[in-house]
Formats: sequence, structure tokens, C-alpha cells
Amino acid sequence: MVAKLTRAERQFALILLGLMALCGLVMAAGANDDLFALHGGLILAVAVGLSFLVISGLDAPEPPPERLAEYYDAPSRVAIVLTMGWALFGLAVGDWVAWMLAYPHLTVDAAWASFGRIRPMHTTGVIFGFGGNALIATSFHVVQRTCRTRLAGQFSPWFVLLGYNLFCLLAVSGYPLGITQSKEYAEPEWYVDLWLCVVWVTYLVLYLRTLAQRREPHIYVANWYYLAFIVVVAMLHIVNNIAMPVAWNHSRAYSAFAGVQDAMTQWWYGHNAVAFFLTAGFLGMMYYYLPVRAQRPIFSYRMSIISFWGITFMYMWAGSHHLHYTALPHWVQTLGMTFSLVLLVPSWGSAANALLTLNGAWHRVRDDATLRFMMVAAIFYGLTTFEGSFMAIRAVNSLSHYTDWTIGHVHAGALGWVAFISFGALYSLTPALWGRQRMHSAWAVEAHFWLALAGTLIYVFSMWNSGVIQGLMWRTYDSGGTLAYSFIDTVVAMHPYYIARAVGGALFLAGAGIGAWNVWMTIRSPDTVSQPAGGDRPLTILAGE
Amino acid sequence: MFGLHYRLEKHGMALLLGIIFVTSIGGLVDIAPLFTIDETVEDAPDMRLYTPLEVAGRNIYIREGCYACHSQMIRTLRDEVERYGPYSLAVESKYDHPMQWGSKRTGPDLARIGGKYSDEWQVAHLIDPRAVVPQSIMPSYRFLSTTGLRTDDLGLHLKALSRVGVPYTDEMVTNATADAIAQAGADGSDGLTTRYGEATQARLFDGDPGKVTEMDALIAYLQILGRLTNAAHANSPPPGE
Amino acid sequence: MPETGHALTLLFAKGFGLFYLLALSVGTLIYAFWPGSGKRFDHAAKSVLRGEDQP
Repeated sequence: MVAKLTRAERQFALILLGLMALCGLVMAAGANDDLFALHGGLILAVAVGLSFLVISGLDAPEPPPERLAEYYDAPSRVAIVLTMGWALFGLAVGDWVAWMLAYPHLTVDAAWASFGRIRPMHTTGVIFGFGGNALIATSFHVVQRTCRTRLAGQFSPWFVLLGYNLFCLLAVSGYPLGITQSKEYAEPEWYVDLWLCVVWVTYLVLYLRTLAQRREPHIYVANWYYLAFIVVVAMLHIVNNIAMPVAWNHSRAYSAFAGVQDAMTQWWYGHNAVAFFLTAGFLGMMYYYLPVRAQRPIFSYRMSIISFWGITFMYMWAGSHHLHYTALPHWVQTLGMTFSLVLLVPSWGSAANALLTLNGAWHRVRDDATLRFMMVAAIFYGLTTFEGSFMAIRAVNSLSHYTDWTIGHVHAGALGWVAFISFGALYSLTPALWGRQRMHSAWAVEAHFWLALAGTLIYVFSMWNSGVIQGLMWRTYDSGGTLAYSFIDTVVAMHPYYIARAVGGALFLAGAGIGAWNVWMTIRSPDTVSQPAGGDRPLTILAGE
Repeated sequence: MFGLHYRLEKHGMALLLGIIFVTSIGGLVDIAPLFTIDETVEDAPDMRLYTPLEVAGRNIYIREGCYACHSQMIRTLRDEVERYGPYSLAVESKYDHPMQWGSKRTGPDLARIGGKYSDEWQVAHLIDPRAVVPQSIMPSYRFLSTTGLRTDDLGLHLKALSRVGVPYTDEMVTNATADAIAQAGADGSDGLTTRYGEATQARLFDGDPGKVTEMDALIAYLQILGRLTNAAHANSPPPGE
Repeated sequence: MPETGHALTLLFAKGFGLFYLLALSVGTLIYAFWPGSGKRFDHAAKSVLRGEDQP
């Protein structure tokens, strides 16, 4: 990767890494608390490690100028490897905490190993580690192919990718140590948040500049979704994480918001992180890889645009459905509920658009497990958005809220939609980026597909059951008019479902393990196809074909 | 060539601005009115501040990620009010930076846990939940009773909280460390009660007269939950559902 | 008049929100169904299928 940079860019990288090492050193040496010092040390170590990498390639010959006429896929390749790594990590931690809930005594009796500290490692690992890297890998690939131009930066893609992974590393290493602000899905502390801001703004600028130098008159709709993902996540992240640090050298900070305002800000963030991180970004993925894999243009381009504005507009209003029957003013709850219901229209528009695109290519869906991943993703997207709108109805929410039904709903979306579309895209992308004709083992893709599907269904059904049962038990009265069940009765009733859930998670993890092996073997296996000379180029002649 | 590029660039920027415009409105409409809400919702003149020891305990609650399994928000539903107590009011979490309302009850709601169980019960339960509630699936927090509480930076914590709007006085900030140690001691101190009110609970929360531990702080926080103000109890009965 | 600020914000939030919802829907539909855009959309939809990964 270093050899592809010019000498000046390598020197620039070294200067940045030097600054980063200095920053880590100051954090470690000047820290007011031990945790801050530990993170300083970690930043220093990463900077030193990356510096060695750059120094080892410092004297490599200058890269040929012709490379600027080719697509820039090296960052996407590294991102794919990181995606699979984070998938295995995040899913394994998730399954671990799932077993912990079923058998609480089977754990290490140590501070770092308690559920509350490990659970955010799972959520951050899968959402930001796995999902985020998949989005970076595919967005870099898609924006170049649809704009028929090279990424508008040689160094900045690496800065975005590695900087983002440093964010994930700091976040995930912080939780077991006890560094968290306990804002759900926004747990990292203030200095980690600041770092993400820098990385994210670079990502936005890189993306906009690449769009600006495109050779297609129209910006393909997948880029709309990716762009919405990048810019709205920046807005959400910045607003929700405004905080006052205890001191510049202290790991703890206090959120600027309190109580009901904080709750609304938090769920405005939380709900729209789902909308723009886990939905818009992955819809961008779907709108490119699904038509390409099926070899059919998207069923209705118009519908994709109408859905785009619908989703962009309406999700923003819906966050308050997380706060039904709470101290949030009633009219805000009603507003959130109403928009959640209307939101079903653009959501189903997208799901139907995907499935109708496949209409006429069902033989491909039957034979090609990669395309089947994407089809199942579209189905789960439709199911989950329906369920989401349903659960936003106040009366339904009174039963489902605080129970495992929410967990089931989230995983129907995260496993069934996000992970399925990601694996589908990765199985399309990996052979393409390494110049292979197909994945190393078609059988392994099949095995992964069925394991993932079985795992998702077991997980979701067990959580639906446990959620509804617990919700009902909480509100059951005996004939004397008193509550029939103590809280612990309802915990006992969850036990079989917790075991089933952990089994489902294990199946899903096993599938991802096979997938990681398959990706690795595809990368490693010798070239079966003769490589086109000069690599993959965005020539204008193509546009005239 | 440059002219064309310029127009295309504008196109991308237009899309960007469109997205920003469209997405900002929903958030503004939802959130902005909440910042003028003080004018319409209940007020609680008796609302007291978290003491430095309770702030430290709250930080342990945050550090351990308790919100992942425990809510602090009793909804306006009959069964919740009967199970946990009067439904939560907005004013009760007005000093909570950030709020810990939570979204999942793997364990019960804690909004009114204060005073519900004795300190001894809390200590035994945190050390080994299954010794007290055999079917419990909560992790053990044994290490809290052996870990000394850091008190020397509590002044900084109070200062930061006052910067985001919690009305801590300079006097409270200056005495933060001493107040925390006094509250976890057997007798408390006059300064503590003058600053935070007569009702401030000062005792050996973990039952151990030795050092001030994280157990002391966490239990001090748990025992004040739902008791910062009496407003919720004074409220009319819940609407029911 | 202690309630004026909140009431005004609320009125603006709710009133403007509704107007904005309608205007945006109309705008989007006009854009999507504008007679000229059909060809552009078809071109864009097909553009991802050709020249895929060939130099």
C-alpha cells in the first residue's frame, strides 16, 4: 500500500504519524486518570506501528503516473479484510454475551468481563466495525464505478479507512477498561468522538470531490444514499456528543444535555443512526450490487428517488417513538408515531424495488447464493421496516418496549438486512477486486447462506417469543387485582429463549467464519484468470459504448 | 471543460445541501421546543443536587453500562406504577448528564430503587446477586468493595457539571472531595448537610469503616434514585391504561 | 407571559412541519416525473451494468 503513494505522500504520512505519536505521548504522560493514559499509550503504539510500515516502504520507487488513470481499489481491498475481521470479532462477542445471559455463572469473575462492559463491544464491533468498514469498502468502489473516475485523493482514502479503524479500536478497547459515556450506540468518550469528526469530514470531502470529477452526467442513485449516510451521520454524531470534559487530560466528560432533552437528542441520534448508517448506506450498497449481480437495471429508478427523499425526510421525525409513555411531551410522541407509520411507504418502496428487479432473474437467485443473500436482505428489510412501524404504534409499544421484542426487531434488521446485503456485496466485490472470476468456493457461499439464514430465524423467533411473553407477564393481574408475577419470575421464563438465541447466534457466527475463510482463500488462491494488463481503468471510451 | 466541471460540482453540492436541509427540519421540530419546555412542565422547588459521592456513584453506574439492562423511566402505565412506583417526571432527571432512562429491562427498573432495600442487601446483592436472588442473571460486582474510590478529582467533575448547567456553587466545588469522604463516613459533616440539605444520607454505605470504596459511592447513588424530589409522589394518580 | 416562548416555538414547529412535508412531497414527485428526466433515469439505471470492471 505504501508503494502506491508518491514520495511526498509517504513523507506527509510520516509527519502525520509523528503528530499522532506525539499526541499519544502527551495523553499518556500528562493524563489526569489512568484510563486516559492507557488510551494515549495505545495511540502511541498504533502510530509507531504504522510508522514502521511507512518507513519500510519509504525508498520504494515512485509509482508510475499511469496509475492515476486506473481505479484506486487498494483501500477497498484492505477494508474488505478489516470488514471480515470485525465481523468475526463483533459476532463472537455478541454470542459470548448471549451465552452469559443464559448461564450467568459461566463467566470470568472480573470487572472487565461483566455484561454491561462487553455488550457495547458487541454493538460497536458489529455496527461500526463490521458495518462501517463494509460501507467504506463498497462506497469507495461504487463511487468510482458509477462516476467512472478515480477516487479524488491518493492519501485521504487511507486516512479515512485507517483513521476510522483507529476510532473503532479506541471505542472497543475503552469499554472493558470502563471508558464509556453510556449513551446507547454513542458510547465512546469525547476525545474519541473528536477524532471521528476529523475522519468523517475527510470522508465527506473525499466523496464530494470524487462526485465532482465524475464523467457521467447524472449522479447514480446509490451515491445519493451513500452521501446521505456520510453527511447525516456527521450531523448526528456531532450534535449528540456535545459534552464538557472534566479536564483536557481526563477521559470523562459530561453530556451537554440532560434529562428529557438528552433523551430526545439521544433517540433522535439513535433512531437516525439506524436510518442513515444501517439503512441509507446499505441501500446504496443494494442499489449498486443487486442490479449488477442480477444483470438487470433497477426496476424503477423513479421509485428509488422518491423513496430516497421519503426516507431522508421522514426518519428524522420518528425518533420519539423510542420514548412512548415516558416523560417526553405527548405531542412529540404522537409526531414520532405518525411519521413512523408513514415511513413504511418509502421503506416498502425500496424493498419492492429490489425484489421487482429480481423478477425475471429468479433462475439466477436459485443458482447464485450471492444474489440470494441480497434477495433475503431485501425481504428482511421489508419485514423489519413493517415491524418497526408496527412497534412505533403507542399501544403496541407499551407491550414491546423494554423487552426482547426490541432485541429481536433490531437483529432482524442487523442480521437479516445489514449483514445479508453486506455479505452479498462482499462476495461480489472480493473476486472483482483481486481479479478472480469467482469466490474460491461456491459451496462455502452456499453453506454460509444457509447457516446465516437459520441463525437469523432462530434468533429472531426466540426473541419475539421471549419479548411478547415477558411483556405480557409484566402486565398480568391475578383475580385479586394484584400483579401476578414478580420480576424474577419473568427472568426465569426467558431462560429457554436465551439458550435458543445463543444457538442462533452461534450458527450465524459459524457462517461468517466460513465466509472469512472463503474470502481469505479467494485472496490467496493463485490467479486463475489472466489479469487485464494495466488494471482496471475508468476510461472515457467506455462511456461512449 | 472547467465550465462543465463547475456545473457538475454544483450538482453534487446541491444534493448535499438538499440532504442537509431536508434532514435538519425533523430534528429541529422534535428537539427545539424541548429547550423551551421549562416554561410548561412541572417544577420541583425541593429538587436537590447529587452530592459529590453520588456523582461518583453515578459515574460507576455509567462506567459499568448498567443502562444496558436497567431502565430509569417508569412509564405512565398501570402495571408499571404498581410495580415500581409513581411514573417518572421530566424534572426528576433534569440534572442527569446524560440521562440513563435506558431501553431494555433485562433487570427491573431502578428509577425509584432508592430506599427500597437496605444497604446490607445492596452490598450482598452486588457482591453475589445469586446469593440473594437465586434465579438472578446479573453479573457479580465483587470488585467494587475492594476498589478504592477516587475522590481527588471530584471538584473537577462538579465544575464540569456546573458548566453544563447544574447549579453547583464554588463552595461545593471546593469542598467536593471532603464532602464525598464525609458522606461515606459514619457521621457525615455539618458542611455536607448545609450544602446539600438536611436529608442527605451520610453513613457507611458498604458497612466497612475502612477506606471509601466504589461500593460506597454506587450504593449512595442507588439509595438516592427517585428521592431527589418529592414531586412525583405529590402528583395526582396516574391516568392508567 | 411565561408561556409565550414555548407556545410560539411549538406553533412554528408544528405549522411549518406540515407545510414542509407537503411541499417536499410535491417537489420530489415533480422532479421524479418531470418529462425530461425519464431518459436520464433510464440511462443512469443501465449505466451500472455496462463497462463493469473492464479497462
